[in-house]
Amino acid sequence: MAEPELLLDSNIRLWVVLPIVFITFLVGVIRHYVSILLQSDKKLTLEQVSDSQVLIRSRVLRENGKYIPKQSFLMRKFFFNNQEDGFFKKTKRKVVPPSPMTDPSMLTDMMKGNVTNVLPMILIGGWINWTFSGFVTTKVPFPLTLRFKPMLQQGIELLSLDASWVSSASWYFLNVFGLRSMYSLILGQDNGADQSRIMQEQMSGAAMAMPADTNKAFKAEWEALELTDHQWALENVEEDLMSKDLDLSGMFSKELPTGIF
Amino acid sequence: MMKIKMRDKLRKWREENFRNSEQIVDVGEELINEHASKLGDDIWIIYEQVMIAALDCSRDDLAWSCLQELKRQFPDSHRVKRLAGMRLEALERYEDANKLYDSILQDDPTNTAARKRKISILRAQGKSSEAIRELNEYLEQFVGDQEAWHELSELYINEHDYAKAAFCLEELMMTNPHNHLYCEQYGEVKYTQGGLENLELARKYFAQALKLNNRNMRALFGLYMSASHVAASPKVSAKVKKDNVKYAAWAASQISRAYQVRRVREENVKCSAHGITKAVYTVAMVHNVNIIHL
Repeated sequence: MAEPELLLDSNIRLWVVLPIVFITFLVGVIRHYVSILLQSDKKLTLEQVSDSQVLIRSRVLRENGKYIPKQSFLMRKFFFNNQEDGFFKKTKRKVVPPSPMTDPSMLTDMMKGNVTNVLPMILIGGWINWTFSGFVTTKVPFPLTLRFKPMLQQGIELLSLDASWVSSASWYFLNVFGLRSMYSLILGQDNGADQSRIMQEQMSGAAMAMPADTNKAFKAEWEALELTDHQWALENVEEDLMSKDLDLSGMFSKELPTGIF
Repeated sequence: MMKIKMRDKLRKWREENFRNSEQIVDVGEELINEHASKLGDDIWIIYEQVMIAALDCSRDDLAWSCLQELKRQFPDSHRVKRLAGMRLEALERYEDANKLYDSILQDDPTNTAARKRKISILRAQGKSSEAIRELNEYLEQFVGDQEAWHELSELYINEHDYAKAAFCLEELMMTNPHNHLYCEQYGEVKYTQGGLENLELARKYFAQALKLNNRNMRALFGLYMSASHVAASPKVSAKVKKDNVKYAAWAASQISRAYQVRRVREENVKCSAHGITKAVYTVAMVHNVNIIHL
């Protein structure tokens, strides 16, 4: 507030700020469609499908086992958790961590990810820096220290300029991250233009795929199933039912009510 | 306007898995012949729906034309191949259909549709024990396929293997705890198995089905029958007998209420409520059940 305010030419607003926003947005949309085109088919093996369904069945048994008779519940629990030949004890899947070297499809996926996301960002950032250089574009609303000056004020060689005034390159980067929510609005969730999500995935590591997890998942399910008990939900169902008369409304209407379940 | 209504109707039938094939063929044929260009990308799924309905109604010409259109648009699709296989099944060329499905499975071993069609070929040929065996193998791999569990339970019921049918229905009940029809079917299987324990289980599951849907008449009758059978059995204790008599009486009163409702709705219904109450009384007398007030 104390320092003199710089008055920027309004042409800057018209010819720099808005075009950068448009360019970033359009590049993001193009990236989304390109990533869809380049998407390779993920082929699941029979074993993976089967394992995931078994895990679902065990989870369903834990959650809804109370609706089946106690004998049946115990029979299924025994099948899964038996000491000698229970399913979770017996099956050990081969654990092959998918490193980029051994798995060629992973390698191509990584390359495609890099090409579609990192490369355009670098190219366009550099082009904007070259085209819109030599002037300040905008001012960030919070004060910054002098350390930020070389980063945010590329191309402007003024020592006394407040670090809050930034060049067009930094405005571009601000846009790249800021337009994320716009992308989810327009392209729907899970779109290929969402860069920060891609970067997060890369950081969490390539070993997120199923194989390493299956054994651990089985062990976790075994423990969880050991702990579950059978509380039969139908213990007092007759008393509950007969506490009041049946609600017979709408019984003989012609329309078949589809919302019964 | 008409075409939008027709399209919405088709979509509703598709999403809720209705099998009204004649209606689908009527509506779908008109939609395809007259408004094909204006449907956009919806047309492909409508072709698939109409083709399956046409196979049901023996309309080979319509099925063939739909299949041709789909083949032209999606030449390498497994989904279209499966439809071609279904058409061969409809023409009873089971060998050719089997070969087609095998080729799909060679390409993609996880394709469930082709496997299920092979099993239905076995069922169509009447080879139920082989169908049961294949279906068991399929379910070992794909434990979560509810359609398959239901089909297996039906096959077991036809073979009178009620214990195994009950197992399949238990799987279904666990994955769909709010579906009253599975509870009722399970109760019926247990009732058919017979024996005191099974009858008590049957009674409980009929009650559960009624709790989930108060209007399930079949479950209501099932509750009445199982309760009265348990009450009539010589091996039960007095308390259990008393309880079951009470249950049966309650069920009988609800049945007659339902017939009253029906009578009120339609004045000229043939069987009067009086006749039904008389019938219920008679059945109750046979089982020595004391009906307090009807």
